Amino acid sequence: MTEFAAHETDYEVVEGEPAELLGRNLNSAGHLLASATAFFFLAFLFAYFYLRSLNNAGLWHPKHVSPPVTLGTLVMALTVLSATLVRLGVADQRAARRPEWRLKAAIALAVGIGAIVVQVVAWTTMGFGPADGGYASVFFGWTAFNILFIVGALYWLENLLATAIRYRNVPVGADPKPGHASGDPGRPGHDIGNPLSLVRPGLEALSFYWTFLAGLGVLAWVVLYLL
Amino acid sequence: MSTTVVETHRPIWRRLIGFNLLTGIVFGVVGYYIGWFIGHHITGASVAYFSGIDQNDISVTLGYLLGVGGFLIGLGFGVYPWARIRGYPPSLREKETQGASRYFGLCTDHKVVGIQYMIGIGLFFFIGGLNAMLIRVELLRPASQVFPAGQYLTLVGMHGTMMMGIMTSAILGPFANYFVPLMIGARRMAFPRIESLTFWLLMAAGAILTTTIFFGGFPTGWTGYEPLNSQANTGMDSYLVFFALVGISMCLLGLNMLATIITMRAPGLTWSRLPIFCWGVVSTAILNLLAAPVLIAVLGMAVFDRTVQTTFFNPQGGGSPYLYQNLFWVFGHPEVYILALPGMGIVLEILPVFARKPLWGYRLAVSGLLGVTLLSWLVWQHHLFVSGINSDLRPFYMLSTELISIPTGFTFLCGLMTLWRGQIRFSVPLLFSLAWFFNFLIGGLSGVFLSDVPSDVTTHGSFFSMAHFHYTIMGGLVFAFFAAIYFWAPKMFGYTLNERLGKIHFWVMFISFNSTFAPLFAIGFLGQPRRTVTYAQHLQFLNDWVSISAFILGGSMLIFLYNFVYSLLFARIRAPQNPWSSVSLEWQLPTPVPLHNFDRIPVITGEPYGYGSPGIAAIPAAGPAGGSA
Repeated sequence: MTEFAAHETDYEVVEGEPAELLGRNLNSAGHLLASATAFFFLAFLFAYFYLRSLNNAGLWHPKHVSPPVTLGTLVMALTVLSATLVRLGVADQRAARRPEWRLKAAIALAVGIGAIVVQVVAWTTMGFGPADGGYASVFFGWTAFNILFIVGALYWLENLLATAIRYRNVPVGADPKPGHASGDPGRPGHDIGNPLSLVRPGLEALSFYWTFLAGLGVLAWVVLYLL
Repeated sequence: MSTTVVETHRPIWRRLIGFNLLTGIVFGVVGYYIGWFIGHHITGASVAYFSGIDQNDISVTLGYLLGVGGFLIGLGFGVYPWARIRGYPPSLREKETQGASRYFGLCTDHKVVGIQYMIGIGLFFFIGGLNAMLIRVELLRPASQVFPAGQYLTLVGMHGTMMMGIMTSAILGPFANYFVPLMIGARRMAFPRIESLTFWLLMAAGAILTTTIFFGGFPTGWTGYEPLNSQANTGMDSYLVFFALVGISMCLLGLNMLATIITMRAPGLTWSRLPIFCWGVVSTAILNLLAAPVLIAVLGMAVFDRTVQTTFFNPQGGGSPYLYQNLFWVFGHPEVYILALPGMGIVLEILPVFARKPLWGYRLAVSGLLGVTLLSWLVWQHHLFVSGINSDLRPFYMLSTELISIPTGFTFLCGLMTLWRGQIRFSVPLLFSLAWFFNFLIGGLSGVFLSDVPSDVTTHGSFFSMAHFHYTIMGGLVFAFFAAIYFWAPKMFGYTLNERLGKIHFWVMFISFNSTFAPLFAIGFLGQPRRTVTYAQHLQFLNDWVSISAFILGGSMLIFLYNFVYSLLFARIRAPQNPWSSVSLEWQLPTPVPLHNFDRIPVITGEPYGYGSPGIAAIPAAGPAGGSA
């Protein structure tokens, strides 16, 4: 049985959909995405222990396969540092310290890119290749996909940061001038009420996901370098 | 009152130039050749490491990946990310224009995406079905006659892969995308662009799989088992990229569905009031979200094995083919329920409407759906019973598999008790729903034989298991798919499908389906293995029977196609707003459904199946606007 709410809305209101709703969506999506990411890397964790237990042809971990512990630790540390900076940036955002959060986000972005660069250096300088046994395969597969996920998270961070920088002079709560990201050339205005207010929920969702990804990076470091 | 509708009156040549399917195809082809060129450059002498690889899987794989990228950019998916990189604020809706052109590109209207899915999936279902017809042509004679063994394997592989890949979205794609927002009182999906992206990824995947014939096909069937996978020619890359794209599409589809149902339900629509179809979608979406990443990961490993020479699945290099089998089935068995659960949701949604009774045991039905979802994670090793797994593991997986019949039984109980003493009207959607019970029961009972280790040892890999999964998947999914089309077509298209043709379609399909697949149980018991082009002479009669039945089954699809085209394009009899007198929210909306669904957000104040309550018609006041052909 259904009745309709007393407050009428029309398409003008639809065009200005409240940003809170999108914030909730982003929050849910961040958590759901983290679940999917966990199951993705679970496959590599399974592969690690499965191949290690079988040690087929004695080629799980040949003697010359020596993972670059220093560089691997640096990748992990940079990822954790970047995630921590984003979390601190969320606190600044909540306290309306806009320049501070932008600075932290920019540093976090640079640190994240640094993690990618260090990983590439590690791949190109270590003394074994992907064909050198079970461990080497898991190492290359896991780290390659880890970097792919990091790139995705950094893209998300860059989006938020770029919006914050582009509209840095717009007062809190004010609508920006039309210039939305839609591909419709004829669109006269925004379809989200105050789209700039979405930066904070977006940042909170990203912070959760980025922290989760950094946690997976720590797990990868323990499994690939310490065990 | 302003809307986002943008009327376009540009000349046709001008409209063809923008971001649309045509541009997508052109960019896709260009992207493929760029990837192919880069791949050849990599495999050339420039990088010594790759020069020893004897086949150019890198070129083919890179070609596919960049081809998909080009395809998506051509469709318009690059505009928004590029604008966001430059800091422009987000928006929700895009290309929600009027006219036919919105179906040929990126469109964020969930109703458009639903119809895109229906047509797109129908296209690939048709191709997969044609493959099945060719398989049955080959099996008319015991010896190889039309196709050599290698081509036959590719045919079987393409049929299985197309059906198991594309059809994962057969219900969620068209019906959940279209109706979940309407059923929960929302104006859109949570992430409309992602919704559109899932569809176009699936189309790109289907196109890539069909190109395998240019690379010699693949010999592994739909499971892609190692070590055959690593040894196969470049046609195998089509399979790997296809299934990875399907996995990404499934994962995003599940995420979008869950986010939508969690956050965008109308006021008053508590979890205990959620329509049972939405519960089926929730169950499926959970599996989509969590199982598909495992598939993507294992296919990623396989791609690495074939391109950069990792040894995940190569025992001579420290890997193991069993790793592939384990990880594949961690995804593969939940996938069976990804195919089955939406069908359960649809059938339980339809029964109360045609029995004019509330759904019996709503909470029991929900617990059944969630129980199947949970247990589907604990059964995957029954696929490895004869692969040489540790025999100590067998009892657990045998019991966990048999346990799954309990929550499945809940849905049967709820469905049958809903029909009990109902005022049943045998319209086409109900007929397909009843057939679902019959087929799925046979599929379920035969599944017990396969979950039981002693009988599985003799039936595994035979036509018996093929009969079993066709009863569950085609009998469960496809019959539910048609029930849903006949049920919801009046709302989706504004016209009712012809009832008489629908009944002819149903009876021909139901009888020929059973005539096709029931004998396969016997054929399997008599020892005919799957994926083998020749068979023993004494099995020819049964095989011919099956082939002829299969041709009739294929013909029944043409009856549907005729009905669909005739009713929507020629007869065009307007359907009333609520032809079935359903109390569900989607039927309270006008037809066609407005662009933004609801002028006013509804407030839900009661249970979803209030049949028998005062004010609800005991018998539908108006029958569907049918007519004779």
